[in-house]
Amino acid sequence: MAVTPALTLAGLRKVFGATVAVDRVDLEIPQGSFYGVVGPNGAGKTTTLSMATGLLVPDAGTVHVHGVDLWRDPEAAKPLLGVLPDGLHSFDRLTGSELISYAGLLRGMHRDVVEQRRDDLLAALDLDSAGRTLVSDYSAGMTKKVALACALVHAPRVLVLDEPFEAVDPVSAGAIRRILASFVEGGGTVVMSSHVMALVERLCDRVAIVGSGRVLAHGTLDEVRAGADLEERFVALVGDVADQRDLTWLRRS
Amino acid sequence: MVAPVLSLKWRSTLHSMRRDWWRVLVLVSGVIWSITLVPSVWFAQRVLSYQHPDLKTDALVATASVLVLGWCVVPLLLTGLDDTLEPTRFASLGVSARRLMPGMTVAAFLTVPALFFLAAMLVLALAWEPEPWPALPVALAGAGLTVAVMVMSARVAVGWGTRVLGSRRARLVALAAGAVIIAALAPAAVLLFRDGLELVLDYDVPVLISSLGATPIASGMAAPHAAADGDLLGVAWRLALPAAWVVLLHGAWRASVAHALVHPRQRGGGERRRDDRILATQARSERWDATLARVPGPLGVAARRVRARAAAPPAARAVRSRALRAWASDPRYLSAGVGAMVFPLLFFAVVMPSLGLATWWAYAVPLLLAASIGWGRHNDVAYDSTAMWLDLVSGRRGHAVMRGRVEATLAWAVPAVLAACVLAVLATGEWALAPGLVGAAIGALGATVGVSAVMAVAMPYRAPQPGSNPFTAEVGSLGAGLAAQVVSSFASAAIAPLVTVPFVLGVIVRPAWAGVSAVTGPVLGVAAVVLAVRVSGTLYDSRSGRLLGAVA
Repeated sequence: MAVTPALTLAGLRKVFGATVAVDRVDLEIPQGSFYGVVGPNGAGKTTTLSMATGLLVPDAGTVHVHGVDLWRDPEAAKPLLGVLPDGLHSFDRLTGSELISYAGLLRGMHRDVVEQRRDDLLAALDLDSAGRTLVSDYSAGMTKKVALACALVHAPRVLVLDEPFEAVDPVSAGAIRRILASFVEGGGTVVMSSHVMALVERLCDRVAIVGSGRVLAHGTLDEVRAGADLEERFVALVGDVADQRDLTWLRRS
Repeated sequence: MVAPVLSLKWRSTLHSMRRDWWRVLVLVSGVIWSITLVPSVWFAQRVLSYQHPDLKTDALVATASVLVLGWCVVPLLLTGLDDTLEPTRFASLGVSARRLMPGMTVAAFLTVPALFFLAAMLVLALAWEPEPWPALPVALAGAGLTVAVMVMSARVAVGWGTRVLGSRRARLVALAAGAVIIAALAPAAVLLFRDGLELVLDYDVPVLISSLGATPIASGMAAPHAAADGDLLGVAWRLALPAAWVVLLHGAWRASVAHALVHPRQRGGGERRRDDRILATQARSERWDATLARVPGPLGVAARRVRARAAAPPAARAVRSRALRAWASDPRYLSAGVGAMVFPLLFFAVVMPSLGLATWWAYAVPLLLAASIGWGRHNDVAYDSTAMWLDLVSGRRGHAVMRGRVEATLAWAVPAVLAACVLAVLATGEWALAPGLVGAAIGALGATVGVSAVMAVAMPYRAPQPGSNPFTAEVGSLGAGLAAQVVSSFASAAIAPLVTVPFVLGVIVRPAWAGVSAVTGPVLGVAAVVLAVRVSGTLYDSRSGRLLGAVA
């Protein structure tokens, strides 16, 4: 019998007014994979991931997390998921450590467990010194890191991360990469969206390229690359800038 | 740079009207309202022109003073309506305040309200026509200067208001604003209570008007009187004063624009250290459990049973601690808290004495306070627009989220309402009615908080974002906001009488009725809150995939 996929998106569709943001997306994300979702700006990545994590109700289609229907049975599915949305802040009047504790308690965890994991996460993400500072005083990268800690605190089986490395400095990015890699090694599944092709090639073993709300290509990294490098494939699939005009007036000589 | 700034304002106004239909509605109704006022302004001018110069001066000075006050206050409350020329938006363009200001100044005068008030004040100035020359030209000049004072005061008020509220000292500012409101109302109230409305109108108001006529606020309106008397020196200083004031205000506005250009709102840099209060609250409640576990006998059993039923589960407790932190430090919540006090306070300090209402109307104050606190929470959930994803991804947490929120509001609202009850009974001296009043007020608080909890989930609309000016109406929110406000007003108005009627009967018919409300009020209030938490929690879960889209 085949192993249940970690995340199954079937026929997902979302329309905002006259714009079709996501148009029948089907994706199967196997357990233990490090899955990259890439696409140009406005391709519908964030909308798809929002529907896959219970933040946005789809117009049509289903989402299954380890075989559990997310929109039918959120009580069973949501504990399996750890989520890091993009472009959203968090309760900025809490300190970093309070935010992690809050996320843990809301997940129904016991205080002692929360306390221990909170300290572990602060140390692992190099937030030790910032744990007692209000999140409203954090830089963009620190906010990202503390939100990641909130996504990890309940030890989910699937991590869905929207642009996890955006605005994060190289040292912290290294720490996050190590955490994610060991998470996958331990049997977890990571789904992440990114604009940075090099990063996706380096981290992910499977990729999906989305454009105009559809999946244009998906599979293992090598299948999708098909001999070229990912960026070339990406540009070939979504189409390059139509009018590559030379801005000669920018040149000084 | 006048033309680019003006065309920018024109373009962005046009585009935002295309996007949000309600803006057209605001503009059109503003224009219609202005036009309907023209005949009455003209009529007032005709009437005034037959009056004695003393009376003309008093009337015009009083009008101008009220209008200047309005120009300072109203833009602070309605900043969301016109943010096309928000100075911070020019920051990235590298334009200096010096080059920006001429365009901004012209644009400030080319708004519907500015043009209307300029026209209205000039028409009113025509009332000086029958007086000896040069009363009329002086009156026109004075009117123009006074309108300039209004427009400039509004710009400075907005600039400084935004700056102050964006600061870390927002809590102090909110407290200070409350203190200033009380301080400003207290002398007026004392006078009104002591002397009654007629005496105040006869003696104190004329003194106030004549002193305002000597300040830059309204001296321009007093200048034509001096001109009619041939007192040219008097004309000179009365016109010079507002002119100098306009220059000063313009300088202050320019300084605040220059400041805004190089002080973008930013995160980072603050160094406030705090311990983890979320876990500490949890630990405290566990210590309570441990203490109760040691109580022996049937008392212990009963106590543990009550606690098991009444105490909030850990998730709700976490939400409550979080919401309490927001109440203590978020400017948006602080201004909502202060705002809820304003109406009851105005009623007690201004409406009651000036209408000569009997002292038992003081009983209405705690009821009004309860209702205004409760009604004010009808968009509670939207305040966390950017953070509620954390609640949503944590599972079906609707009941915990709503319970925590409601408990955090009640944590300060109940003491505030009780304090208002004590004040009301102190004012009337009828201690026998106190339990009934407390019951009715608690009932009204519970009922309105309950209605708001359900409304906050059922009809949320976009609220000011965390860290932004709490007075801003979010772009695009006015239509949805209006609907939600109307519905929650009706719902509150329909439910509140259920808890207040017995008390009203107690005051009017027989005191025994007040005893009824002492029981029914708390019972119905608690029942309303419990029911509302259930209903809104369930609704929160079933709408969880739409909530974020509705508010973010």
